[in-house]
Amino acid sequence: MEPDANHRSRAMPDSAIPAADGALSAAARAMISIRGLDFHYGDHHALRGISLDFPARQVTGMIGPSGCGKSTLLRILNRMYDLYPGQRATGEVLLDGENIIAPGTDVNRLRSRVGMVFQKPTPFPMSIRDNIAFGIKLHERISRSEMDGRIEDALRRVALWTEVKDRLRAGAGALSGGQQQRLCIARTIATRPEVILLDEPTSALDPISTARIEELLDELKQDFTIAIVTHNLQQAARCADQVAFFFMGELVEVDRADRMFTTPRLKRTQDYITGRFG
Amino acid sequence: MSGAMAPAGGVERDQGRNRGRDRGLDRRRRLRDGLATLLCGLATVLVLLALFSILATLVWNGIGGLSVATLTRVTAPGGENGGLLNPIVGSVIQVALATLLGAPIGIAAGIFLAEYGAGSPFATAVRFISDMLLSAPSILVGLFVYLLLVAPVRHFSGYAGIVALAILVIPIVVRTTEDMLRLVPLSMREAAAALGAPRWKVVLLVCVRAAAGGMATGVLLAVARIAGETAPLLFTSLGNLNWSTRLGAPMASLPVTIYQYAGSAFDDWVQLAWTAALLITAGVLLLNMGARFALRRRGER
Repeated sequence: MEPDANHRSRAMPDSAIPAADGALSAAARAMISIRGLDFHYGDHHALRGISLDFPARQVTGMIGPSGCGKSTLLRILNRMYDLYPGQRATGEVLLDGENIIAPGTDVNRLRSRVGMVFQKPTPFPMSIRDNIAFGIKLHERISRSEMDGRIEDALRRVALWTEVKDRLRAGAGALSGGQQQRLCIARTIATRPEVILLDEPTSALDPISTARIEELLDELKQDFTIAIVTHNLQQAARCADQVAFFFMGELVEVDRADRMFTTPRLKRTQDYITGRFG
Repeated sequence: MSGAMAPAGGVERDQGRNRGRDRGLDRRRRLRDGLATLLCGLATVLVLLALFSILATLVWNGIGGLSVATLTRVTAPGGENGGLLNPIVGSVIQVALATLLGAPIGIAAGIFLAEYGAGSPFATAVRFISDMLLSAPSILVGLFVYLLLVAPVRHFSGYAGIVALAILVIPIVVRTTEDMLRLVPLSMREAAAALGAPRWKVVLLVCVRAAAGGMATGVLLAVARIAGETAPLLFTSLGNLNWSTRLGAPMASLPVTIYQYAGSAFDDWVQLAWTAALLITAGVLLLNMGARFALRRRGER
């Protein structure tokens, strides 16, 4: 066990990414800042005293063993937990300085700013075109030609355009798993969010599809702030700029990805990364 | 464990004694498997036999009366060359309007139960009552509508028949709609919500669309059910021996015509009853096949 003091200092506001450590370049503005966040599923205290910054236009990887709370944290960032009774978050999650877990937040608007891609591809039972138009229509009224442009743009960005441009009106269910997942990413970016949350987006895909999605993340971070939950440590090492290690509902360590995987500061992190548990 | 594994992979290691014993076990399993398959097959044959004997009898007895005259002439007294035009038209009108009336109510209630009422006492009560209605004798529904719509105005009417049939449609559609919506995976709901869709759009634009095929099957099931219902019409639309499409007047229908004709002394009436039965069966069958075809084509698109 690491000394508790070490951990607690990390959980305190403003110390999640200690400047002295130089975890991230000072230039990176925090798109999302979490301060003193606690989360409960009914009686279960799933997250304790989390403080963490998500730097703008960078990929933050979240790792840790099953049940450590990393997915829970992701689902707080777009208030997915609102769908279920008995789940509550306390503390601060600041998006552009606004606390999004405060009661008055317009959840649907929040979700247009913070998009999410899930573990399993979830195409809607409609055409490829309508899958993407669905999200855009929720938030904007645009002309048909503009819509066509937006759809093409979104599909090009996920490198799906050439594969589907001749069958935009075909059902999305006929696409392969990897194509479906790219369609879901296209659907998410088509609504022009600021943040994209990915919850193990490649765990249901084959290695080739996985590689394509990872390449995609590299391009997407030019425009979006990305948070990705993954069980695949190599994936975190490949894709993330910053990595956060969670264990039993607590944020154990957060650092630049290269340092996290070469010289973790805490023994618990090292044990997890080297496969001693988890 | 080793018994199950031995024939597959462990044979080399378990030479000698075990081998014989495992083979015996294997043989007994195959025997039991064969027996079970045989029993299932026999049961299937039995069901199909009953079904086809009904269909064959129907076609055998009914097809003789099927002619242009039967389809274009109005019912007439026995022996006077009557047809089935007014019962056919009356049945189509009543079944169609009852479906138009009952299906939307049933779909709306099913959506409420599946999407909004989860666990609330009100929804539990609605679900219970709907299931009761599903198994209620249809003659009771007829009597209920008689007291509601026939007795107060002192005459039978097509309206009353439509309402009685609609009441039968509702619980069937409620149940299938709710069941089909519950099959829509949570991940799809979450994905729609994650795009910023309000709850009602998640339900109407994504969940209902995902469940549309099953919901349509439910409506067809209800159509098939009411197309053959006689009891609820006896006290409501009554039947009409003359040509009439007025909903405010008594209205003819195929099942009531069968009920009146089948036991009669006139040979041509009995023949017409068989033909009417064939028409209902063929109509429901065609409707089912048409809908399945349409849904499949939509699914491929």
